[in-house]
Amino acid sequence: MNLKRFWLFLIALLAMALLVACGGDAAEEPADEAADTADTTEAADTTEEVAEEPAAEEEMAEVQLRWRTRPDNQAEIDVYQSVSNDLDASLDNITLVYEPGGSESSSYQDVLKTELAAGTAPDVFWIPGTDIADFATRGLILDMRDLADATDSYSDADFYPGPMFHLTFNPETGNTGETLWGLPRDVSTFALYLNLDLLAESGAPDPRELAANGEWNWDSFIEVATAINALGDDIYGYGQNAWWGPYGYWINAAGGSFYNDDRTACGLDTAEALAGLEFEQRIYQEFNVAVPYGEDSEPPFLAGKVGMFQNGRWATPGARASANFNWDVVELPDGPAGPSNWLFWGAYVVNANTEHPEEAWALVQALTTADTQGKIAELGANVPSRVSQDALDAFLTFSPPANNQAFLNGLARNPATEGPLWAGSWPEFDAVMGPAVTAVLNGETSIDDFAATICNEANRTFNQ
Amino acid sequence: MTTATVDPQKAPSSEDRAALWLRLATIWHAFLVVAGLAGAFIVWQGADTAVWQKAVFGVLLLGLAGVSGTAVFHINQRRSRGRNLSLAVNYLGFLFALVGSMHQLNMFVGLDSLADTFARGLPFLALIFVGLWLGSQTERFEGDLIRQQQVRQVGRAIAILAGIIFLFAVGLLDGLATVPSALLEGWETAVFLSATVFFGLMVWGMWQQPVADIFRATNADSEMLNGYLFLSPNLLGFLIFFAGPLILSLYVSFTDSDAFSTPNFIGLENYAEIFNLDLEPLASADQLASEVLDVTQYDELNRFTIFGQSYIIGAQDRLFWTALGNTLQFVLLAVPLSVIPALFLANLLNSKVPGMRFFRAIYFLPSVAAVVGIALVWQWLYNATIGYINYGITLVIDLFNTIGLPLTDPQIRWLSEGNTALLAVIIMAAWQWIGFNTVLFLAGLQNIPRALYEAATVDGATPRQQFWKVTLPLLGPTTFFVVTTTVIQAMQVFEQVFIIMGTNPAGPSNSTLTIVLYLYQKGFQRFEQGYASAIAWVLFLLIFAATLVQFQRQRTSGSSYES
Repeated sequence: MNLKRFWLFLIALLAMALLVACGGDAAEEPADEAADTADTTEAADTTEEVAEEPAAEEEMAEVQLRWRTRPDNQAEIDVYQSVSNDLDASLDNITLVYEPGGSESSSYQDVLKTELAAGTAPDVFWIPGTDIADFATRGLILDMRDLADATDSYSDADFYPGPMFHLTFNPETGNTGETLWGLPRDVSTFALYLNLDLLAESGAPDPRELAANGEWNWDSFIEVATAINALGDDIYGYGQNAWWGPYGYWINAAGGSFYNDDRTACGLDTAEALAGLEFEQRIYQEFNVAVPYGEDSEPPFLAGKVGMFQNGRWATPGARASANFNWDVVELPDGPAGPSNWLFWGAYVVNANTEHPEEAWALVQALTTADTQGKIAELGANVPSRVSQDALDAFLTFSPPANNQAFLNGLARNPATEGPLWAGSWPEFDAVMGPAVTAVLNGETSIDDFAATICNEANRTFNQ
Repeated sequence: MTTATVDPQKAPSSEDRAALWLRLATIWHAFLVVAGLAGAFIVWQGADTAVWQKAVFGVLLLGLAGVSGTAVFHINQRRSRGRNLSLAVNYLGFLFALVGSMHQLNMFVGLDSLADTFARGLPFLALIFVGLWLGSQTERFEGDLIRQQQVRQVGRAIAILAGIIFLFAVGLLDGLATVPSALLEGWETAVFLSATVFFGLMVWGMWQQPVADIFRATNADSEMLNGYLFLSPNLLGFLIFFAGPLILSLYVSFTDSDAFSTPNFIGLENYAEIFNLDLEPLASADQLASEVLDVTQYDELNRFTIFGQSYIIGAQDRLFWTALGNTLQFVLLAVPLSVIPALFLANLLNSKVPGMRFFRAIYFLPSVAAVVGIALVWQWLYNATIGYINYGITLVIDLFNTIGLPLTDPQIRWLSEGNTALLAVIIMAAWQWIGFNTVLFLAGLQNIPRALYEAATVDGATPRQQFWKVTLPLLGPTTFFVVTTTVIQAMQVFEQVFIIMGTNPAGPSNSTLTIVLYLYQKGFQRFEQGYASAIAWVLFLLIFAATLVQFQRQRTSGSSYES
């Protein structure tokens, strides 16, 4: 073959390969479809059945749905992939493609929003509770209320009311119960992860016993943290990570809140909120019993150098994998205003531009059944969002930690629901609040200065 | 004398064919004039089309009509300009229609899928090469022509057969089935495919030598066309992927674009918000900002006292100014920290000592390592409680304490304290950039003629004098390049901050918020893309100004060994 023919052959091959690319979608058609079609043809023995075949085929047209979550580790990816495979087999005429989202160098939400803007986002995806308002008011997610009303087996009451308040909120009327932006994937609360070895070495009272006796409060918390902290220069009594959840607990437990009562303005300058923040400032600046604020507390906790580490259920797989000491969990201590916690949640929502809203709604329901949530809860990272004893039982079977009930107690003890800002911009509010709170906890700003300025700036992030 | 007879069956001559092409080209370009004008009118009437889209497509279509009309005029005048314009329009049209056809046929999506199915065809792809190799083994049978021909035929047959099986294995049937259905689904695919064929044919026809001869095309014409042809991939890439987005971002900066809805033109509002400052006198240095500033619009940016009078500066967008301040601090520290050590390192590595190449490679390694990996490693090193840097400091402090020099362990909170976070990022960035700058300085050093050093030695200059009087001045052009590129790199710092600061890239009290990070947050987290574009243009002007100053200084000093 001379050189000219060789090039012609190569060009022809490339051109044909490009032509092959035209059939990309068709090439991905699932094998099940062919089988289904074959079954249909075989079954069409009678004349009547043959006559009905075109309609049947139309009904049987396979729909492909892409869906995405934000898993924290490979184990979660595997479980979600397994769930996707199971649902793929059980949902009629729906083929599922699962896409784990997020990475070290890209934010899950940033990538998702960019894909939404480009029109390439999945049909169904998970977003955190704080983002619901932003996605809904921008028209990026589908209001599934009509689909839900047409579904007999569905009821809002099957899920925890806190998340459902926001998921059914109508921003145009200001009423809840009028829309359905999604269904919660899971819920979580904070607990204190305890290093039982350090606790025993310090001789401090066991927080689990204190909690059982109703004596687990901020005073006893400081007592335990101080005792552990005294074990050495590189040992810390307490640790948290620097985001709104951990410091929000101290504000909420003192009776304060980020917002005013109807969440239409900043509430960080109220006496209660300031009292909570001041106590937390003392933990860092006066009692000096904590991992320096802003440092990731998880590595030192896993290295056995932190007595009490405040985090959500999502930290459990990491503790199980890496903690080489005895550990357990206990609920957060009661504050001056009583028990408090966060009810964290995220939801499966449907892309407003999906071509298959009915199928996407079916998938959202399937992803939030007690059975599916039980499978995911067995992994230990999530508390089921459905008020279902079966799902909760599946969650309680997972140990360590032995005291799984601490997370469920958090749900029952006056948790503040993580929520979107329907009357403002949560990312803007967080961008104002975070640095200001950090400055207080690092001792760079006084509580008085914080109180004098925070709401001036934060209120500008609400709709004028 | 013989009489010439006209044979009606005689094949048309090349001149006839060329004339036919010209007639076709005239008709085709006349059609393009009408199509361009009609298209521009339709685009301008589009109710849902964004203004920038109307402007871009309108200009392109009017350009198509204008250039085609000019081409028709010149073709009829038989001027080579007509052929050149025709070739340019048809070539660009062919590329546009080809890409459009590929899009309509889902080829770009399909290429992804092809990646999935490609593995199925790999054995047959290998077999193609086996066949080609076999067919080339004729020299083994030198003198045996029959055997040579058999080997060639067998090799060709294997290659062709394997090629066909390869195409079927990776899904040719699916691809073939998709084309008719795509043609039936809508008129767009047929239009794009037809346009591809017509434009392609016109390029081919007008390129023919007989056509060129009619236009009396010179060698200069041919060279120009060939030059532009070879330049076109780069030129088109520049226009489409660089100049186009650049101009688009300028337009977007004058809108309230949020990436999801149709943007509204708002003029200079974004720029006004960036630069909106308020200077107010204070009754006392500690007077509350809320008493003098309109806090519904301004945040306190800074306060200062001059001639006994205190003032406060309020900014509508305080974070922009914070980011600008952090970026300038970063530039002021990171540039000297990555340039001066690189200069001395290059001098060291330029010496003729055994094993120096190994050290050159070692110092260059951070420059080729991924920023994400480097930042994650430094994040661990900087950890205040279990990081190796603080561990090392503690060991040194303990050593001093042991020998009777009492020192306090500072327990530096590298990444969690506003005073140190930016410094930590600067150290990491400078460490990463030193290697590349060193290589540039090394190249500059090796370009300095040895004769100058020999002359300096003869004149009695010490090594230090040689460095200051010979090396440094003659490294002027290299230093200029290194400083300019490092300043630009530093003003655009993003990845290092974004990764090393983890979940809070802006850092404690926004101490690591840089301009590009702020731009990213505005554009891709809060989706204020109009505002983010305005920030990008402000940054561009800053970098442009900084570079201009350096160019000016370089011209003034003008040091190089040529001068």
